Amino acid sequence: MQNGDVIHYELKEFQVFEPLFRWARKKSLWIVAFCTGCGGIEMPPLANARYDFERFGIMINPSPRMGDLFLITGYVTPKTLKRIIITYEMMQDPKYILAHGSCPINGGVYWDSYNVVKQLDKYIPIDVAIAGCMPRAEAVMDGITTIMKKIENGEADGWKRYRENYEWYRKNQDELFGEGWREKDARRWLAWI
Amino acid sequence: MDMNEKPKVEEKVEEKVENAQPVEENKPELPDTTEGKLVEVLLEKAPYAEGEVIRKRRVKFTVPAERIHEFLELASEKFEMLMQISVVDWLKEGQFEVNYQLWSLSESVHAFVKTRIPRDDAKLPTVMDIWPVAETYEREAHEFFGIIFEGNPRLGPFILEPREYEKHPLRKDFNTLSYAKTIYGEDFDRFDESKTNYVI
Ligand code: SF4
Repeated sequence: MQNGDVIHYELKEFQVFEPLFRWARKKSLWIVAFCTGCGGIEMPPLANARYDFERFGIMINPSPRMGDLFLITGYVTPKTLKRIIITYEMMQDPKYILAHGSCPINGGVYWDSYNVVKQLDKYIPIDVAIAGCMPRAEAVMDGITTIMKKIENGEADGWKRYRENYEWYRKNQDELFGEGWREKDARRWLAWI
Repeated sequence: MDMNEKPKVEEKVEEKVENAQPVEENKPELPDTTEGKLVEVLLEKAPYAEGEVIRKRRVKFTVPAERIHEFLELASEKFEMLMQISVVDWLKEGQFEVNYQLWSLSESVHAFVKTRIPRDDAKLPTVMDIWPVAETYEREAHEFFGIIFEGNPRLGPFILEPREYEKHPLRKDFNTLSYAKTIYGEDFDRFDESKTNYVI
């Protein structure tokens, strides 16, 4: 029996309630507070009185284990990407990724830079990407509404894609960082290992 | 013929221009302000340096590299704070320009102390004994440009990944585009060297 079967079996029991679950997930997106790059500066206006995303049930949350929504708010360097991947893997399923700006899509203004990752989608699955440099708070709101719709329709399936194509993602990650980077870096961050 | 004899070079006889006036040293006049006085006092103690006032609250010194430590030690009496060490790569001249940016807390004046060193085998003495904070800036300059600060105990990989550390990516002769292609693959779109389809 594989890992996936268990989850399928569990979900089947509650299939009747699935629409309810989706609705509930959509209404309580908790953001992992790990903003990378320029886009992090769009978060305060989003949270303040003008846009106030808390009325949609969105909340900024310091722990990846309780988060649903991972915002990649801008350029990603190999150094941050390592942290992003590990944080993403720590999050519980289902989890969604919203990428801000052109940098995660194709490198943006840094497309010939030596340390900006050009296609984030090669390393972790993105559900919604917002184009623009930098996207205004309205655009981010629009992206969040899109991701809500996708959750309701069951189209936001990045976490499933990551699980199914793990070999491919792993291969790309290893190509960029070199084999055994997880162990090596974990030892550097967590001194007691 | 004696092997040790040096080949004779025709000596050029310089024509002496008659009525040659002694060239007057046109040193920039130092204004009679706080900045001007600061520069004047410092130049009196360190005659090997050049100094000028750029504008209000900004002065500039140019110092030969051998005496930079000595000069900074003198300067630290008036300019108590080291704000940054920045580097400019003059590729055609084969030189690095190292800028020490100092701030005078007592006079509120910002000073640039510039010095030039050759690009290959770039070496400078550390100024950690004057300002301990220099450690970080020197490590950064070492990592991005490959300048060796003698006496700094922590020079080594700092911000960059190890594979970039060896390349010194802010040197002007580092080809970022070809480096990005080899690391990230050629399949990222929108790279176009002729820049005809250059889109951001
Ligand atoms: S797309 Fe623009 S705003 Fe966004 S991270 Fe890149 S450079 Fe910054």
